[in-house]
Amino acid sequence: MSDEKKSCCSNETGEPTATRSAAPMWIVVVTLALLFTGGLFLDSHGGWFDKNVYAPYQSSAQLEAFQPKSGAAAAMARGKSVYEGVCGICHNSDGTGKPGQAPALAGSEWVTAKGINRLAHIPLAGVTGAIQVGGKDWNLNMAAMGAALSDEDMAAVLTYIRTSWGNKAEAVNADDVKKVRTEIGKSPQPYSSTQLKAMPE
Amino acid sequence: MNSAENNSVCSNEIDASCRVPLLALFGGAALWLVLGLALGIAAMLSFHKPDMFADCPFLSFGHAQAAANDLLLYGFAIPAALGVTLWIFARLSQSPLALPIVPVVAANLWHVGVLVGTVSILLGFSTGHPWLEYPRGASVLLFAAFMLIAVSAVTTMGFRLNRELYPSHWFLFAALLWFVWSYGTANLFLVCNHPPRGVVQAVIGWWLTNNLIFVWLALAGVGIAFYFLPKIAGKPLASSGYALFGFLTLVFFGTWVGIPQSAPVPAWLPTVSAFGALLSVIPVFALGIIARKTVWGAKVPCFGGPFCFIRFGMLSFIAANLFYISEFCPRASRVLDFTWFNAGVTQWQLLGFAGMILCGAIYEILPRVMDRELPFAKLAKLNFFLFAGGTLLFVIPLLIGGVEQGMKLRDANIPFADASAVALKFLRISTTGQLLVLLGALCLLLNIFVMTLQWKLGLLKTVVGVVKDSLVEGSAYRPLPGDKSACATLQRDEEVKP
Amino acid sequence: MKTGFCVFLAAFVALGASWFGFVYGPLKQLGVATETKVLQSDDKWPVQRTGDATLGLQVYRANGCAACHTEQIRQTGAANELSLMNLGVHQATDLKDFIASLLGTVPELMNFSNAVAGNLAGWKGELPKLIYSGADDTVVLLLGDKLKAVGVKTEARVVATGADIARMGWGVRQSVAVDYLYDSPVQLGNLRAGPDLANIGVRSPDLNWQLQHLYAPKSITPNSTMPAFRYLFTVKKIGAIPSPDALKLPLTQQPNEFTPPPGYEIVPTAEAKQLAAYLVSLKNNAPLYEAPFTPITAAK
Repeated sequence: MSDEKKSCCSNETGEPTATRSAAPMWIVVVTLALLFTGGLFLDSHGGWFDKNVYAPYQSSAQLEAFQPKSGAAAAMARGKSVYEGVCGICHNSDGTGKPGQAPALAGSEWVTAKGINRLAHIPLAGVTGAIQVGGKDWNLNMAAMGAALSDEDMAAVLTYIRTSWGNKAEAVNADDVKKVRTEIGKSPQPYSSTQLKAMPE
Repeated sequence: MNSAENNSVCSNEIDASCRVPLLALFGGAALWLVLGLALGIAAMLSFHKPDMFADCPFLSFGHAQAAANDLLLYGFAIPAALGVTLWIFARLSQSPLALPIVPVVAANLWHVGVLVGTVSILLGFSTGHPWLEYPRGASVLLFAAFMLIAVSAVTTMGFRLNRELYPSHWFLFAALLWFVWSYGTANLFLVCNHPPRGVVQAVIGWWLTNNLIFVWLALAGVGIAFYFLPKIAGKPLASSGYALFGFLTLVFFGTWVGIPQSAPVPAWLPTVSAFGALLSVIPVFALGIIARKTVWGAKVPCFGGPFCFIRFGMLSFIAANLFYISEFCPRASRVLDFTWFNAGVTQWQLLGFAGMILCGAIYEILPRVMDRELPFAKLAKLNFFLFAGGTLLFVIPLLIGGVEQGMKLRDANIPFADASAVALKFLRISTTGQLLVLLGALCLLLNIFVMTLQWKLGLLKTVVGVVKDSLVEGSAYRPLPGDKSACATLQRDEEVKP
Repeated sequence: MKTGFCVFLAAFVALGASWFGFVYGPLKQLGVATETKVLQSDDKWPVQRTGDATLGLQVYRANGCAACHTEQIRQTGAANELSLMNLGVHQATDLKDFIASLLGTVPELMNFSNAVAGNLAGWKGELPKLIYSGADDTVVLLLGDKLKAVGVKTEARVVATGADIARMGWGVRQSVAVDYLYDSPVQLGNLRAGPDLANIGVRSPDLNWQLQHLYAPKSITPNSTMPAFRYLFTVKKIGAIPSPDALKLPLTQQPNEFTPPPGYEIVPTAEAKQLAAYLVSLKNNAPLYEAPFTPITAAK
């Protein structure tokens, strides 16, 4: 222990002080740049707080693409892809129709009918003339799509429109489509509303 | 600051008021540090000779490692930082410690809590949550003790004459709040009540771990460094605006780190953490730059003195925390996760950064509060070299070994046994480093222990002397040599009167 | 930062925000989770543990097993795969031409013609043949249907990828939150000094194997770095009736360092048995919505 005792009330060095200048501009700029970069990263990888999205998946849509598909799920996925490639152009991708182009499929009594006989005739052979859909009158022509779509594709897309956007009707299988196709024959002529109504459902 | 200095109470009185509480905190901390390091070495022995503790459950890796880690954080770093905080607040307030008896009681409560917790872990009563292994009884003691010390610290802070806060105030005050909230929340959810279901437990655990190991250590360590660096360099801190920027970015971004990128939780949680980690680079650099600018050009003799400790600590602050942040980078995490890298970074943060700064601060404070020189000044210097060399030797092999292990783990064609075996040779070097750190910690313990002994002997001598005098002369009261209160009271009276 | 209140406010807001995000948010989002459905099955996930296995988790905790073992599988990607399973009536070369013509004419498939052609290059007709592996699911469905129409059997699979999954037996998909629903405390671990245990119940479902491995890891894996947990076992003199629980060491005809002295048997304590039951209960083999894959058995 040292001999020289500190005298009473000596304050050896004083307490530290700080100069007053602000943080330099460059570090603020770097912070903002990092905030922006980080924000982009959050947006692309964060899955937007979805409780089912785990990395490496980045969104619920991406997760959906990796769900194993068999039976009904596969038909739905296929029907959706056909619908969006063919039908959705006029009927709209959410089935609400487009004014002056095509009526809505969502809630349409033609789509959700108990049987599929009438419904299957429409895309296979086309429709012409006045037709009432969901209480609205339409007078347009729809071309036949039968040649462009296989029985499986047709069944898938019919299943898709019958079970999407709130529609709840039974699925369609390819054999039913095949039956209707043979009935129509090789050179289909568009049907009118009255002709369709004359058929069994 | 002239007026403040004129009005000030003498620093001797302030220091004397801190003597008993600080001894209680530092003494226990040094003891736990030594025990924690020894237990850590015992734990690593399981990797050098796997069947060593096959018949002794208490020292198996699973038991000893958790106990050792908790001793370093709860046994050493936190009480030591609290002690330094009390002293810095008293000094900055130019006022003796408020309610000095409270921290003394609290320090003892704290140490009992650590003892109970450590024994519980070794006996297999760990809660099983990383960094929260102490069972309910122990953690309630720790929480209560912390609250008591915080009350004393905040009251002391309120006594300050100069109303403006110094940057260290912000960091250390925020650290008090930080611990109470994060430790309280985590214990409430995981230890005290019926814990939440499933993986949320782990999420809360990660939140706590990050808030203690990264944010709390940074707040406490940098707060302490910002007090001592200007003092040692004889220059003002450069600057308060910059420090404010560093402080705000640290608390606002640092607290979002912590969820590992590989965690089995929805993507948003690790992604937010990666975001927080990216932005935490800012405070780490900013605070490092401030320290550098403050001591720039100052001619400070170093050779193993407190300045050396704190400088090494601040360099570790930057390095260790950058490595820590890198673990949360999605690409890097694919290699680094689940390897020894994480253990290496944590030990660097605990020993290389917080441990270094705390040791430097203790060596700086002890002679003042005890009013006597260090009994073994050379050992204090040796402590620095052992700590510096030991920490690097301890940590760097873990980092390199971790990366090598991670590279092998991510290649499924390499058998797992090869991936885990590659780390073994690094662990051997690492344990050597651990041994050096332990020797350094013994230097600290010896200094504190002998100082306490000298002080107690001195007290005994004066008491005996007074009794003898009064018996011989029957004389009136005479101030004891160590008692400055008469002088201080005089000063204080003057200053209070307008 | 003139007053303590300002500092308090800044720290309070900062920590409060992360408390809200990392404590309150997960509590509300994951803390309310319940059992979920296994994909394409009516089974529930996770499976409730038996009493012994539930107690075994506490043995796992008390001994700090999580210090060396993780219980989480990482996944770095996923793929939709389409494989040819038979050729029907076709020759390999014809089929290659047919697939090439499909890729050239069907609009939805044109983008994938290079990927599929690359897989088919040099194919001589060996089966099963992977013809597509990638992110897109429509190509798998469409191509599968077109091939089915000409009598070729294909198999569409979703597989999880990553080093953890490629290691045989470690798991078939990444771990997700619901896997830990019945664990308390959740023992994720963050160091793989030993292998991951998320799927150990599928990898080594034999209780006796688990017990022997706990008693003497080196008797099973000679270069194992795992310490022996002899303190979970007692070495007893064989009484009138040998203990039914005694370890059935497979190496008895050649006594070695692991075999007990003659006339003695190694009996696991209750804790050892619980721990083994817990380990056997650890499985990571159910496809879930958030971690999808096609199980091998379901595809057959």
